[in-house]
Amino acid sequence: MEFEHYQKIALYGFILAAIFGAIANRTNFCTMGAVSDWVNMGALTRLKVWLLAMGIALIGTQTMHATGTIDVSGSIYLSTNFTWLGYIIGGFLFGIGMTIGSGCGQKTLVRVGGGNLKSLVVLMVMGITAYMTLRGLLALLRLQINDPTALDLSERGLTTQGIPEILSMWTGLSSSMLAIVLTILIGGGSILYALKDAGIRKSFDNMLSGVGIGLLIASSWYVTGVLGYDDFEPVPLEGISFISPVGNTVSYLMTYTGSVINFGIAVVFGMIAGSFLYSILTGTFRFESFNDQSDLVHHLWGGVLMGFGGVMALGCTIGQGVTGMSTLALGSLVAALSIVAGCAFALKMQYYLYDEQGWWHAFKATIGDMMPSRQKSA
Amino acid sequence: MTEVNQELDARNLNCPLPILRAKKTLNGMESGQVVKIMATDPGSVKDFEAFANQTGNELLESTEVGNEFHFLLKKS
Repeated sequence: MEFEHYQKIALYGFILAAIFGAIANRTNFCTMGAVSDWVNMGALTRLKVWLLAMGIALIGTQTMHATGTIDVSGSIYLSTNFTWLGYIIGGFLFGIGMTIGSGCGQKTLVRVGGGNLKSLVVLMVMGITAYMTLRGLLALLRLQINDPTALDLSERGLTTQGIPEILSMWTGLSSSMLAIVLTILIGGGSILYALKDAGIRKSFDNMLSGVGIGLLIASSWYVTGVLGYDDFEPVPLEGISFISPVGNTVSYLMTYTGSVINFGIAVVFGMIAGSFLYSILTGTFRFESFNDQSDLVHHLWGGVLMGFGGVMALGCTIGQGVTGMSTLALGSLVAALSIVAGCAFALKMQYYLYDEQGWWHAFKATIGDMMPSRQKSA
Repeated sequence: MTEVNQELDARNLNCPLPILRAKKTLNGMESGQVVKIMATDPGSVKDFEAFANQTGNELLESTEVGNEFHFLLKKS
């Protein structure tokens, strides 16, 4: 069977994502879990695994960018249309959604592969909401938030929203030199910080997920940027991401005869397939479904908030948090921090709502906890 | 047989709610007292190991009973 160029790229995406899905299933890689461990028990191990992945993806991607192998300035993350309010609102809502929906987009796909039917519902709702935010009814709301507030950085003489270029404008130093310095500081710093912890270094699973996922993200840029390059039919430059691709997957399945597969859609299928195979081979596949109405309602809201928030923020914990961060885009940093803030907020709310003293009480206690001067472990 | 001072029904709760509720329950207990937690989330096994390691509360027991996971946590 002869594959078309775009089909080959989709196949590579499928393979990368299948490895990702299997690793994430095995190692329980979970950004919501990482934030929860930090907020609820002061444990940083899973957050460090995430930082290890981000650091490796950053160094890999920036090395390819600096050597001219790929040019990430053409990616959506580095657009000069700086939708700062979208990153903040979208990221925050996404963070709440992933907390009440049992995990982010990546975790949802892994859970679907492992037999979790709750996550299948989250996935479908997330996909429909994401597509509605991209092109449907909710796109109007997205544009109403973004259009009046977006900053056009090109008017300020910038060609991207990369942190190196912004710093270069302020300091007069060369943008490419600043990119190297930032890559070493942020990427190298994250890796060293993670590896200083023996709980990471000496754990096969922690090393496998941190290093493996970091390399997979960097490889995804190589797939679309180098292998995907073609004089006649180049594929769009993109890395592994989950929210818009889940929306596009829903659309692809419904309009199959009139659609073609792309990298992102193949990544969605690959994640589920990799996790499914791993859980079957290890005997951990297990069907899970809703316990009661409130469980269903929480997961439905989780899907809606992640679908809307993920598109508003141009990505999820992986799309912005790792793939976007690997381009050193300012928006990715803002979105990733907003996701963590939204997740921490929702975790605290859940904690205080257990007191059964109502939403207002929980909200006040949560805000009190989240104020920097009063940061404490409850 | 360990004396159980309090029980926490965390059945049908998803990650991270079993941990959140265990933490809340422990906050209202005295040092040395034991709470028994019943959960159905498979992820809770690893979560409670990490919780015990991190918080110093001792995980006396972690068992799978049918489709449930039972834990005995002793407040530090």
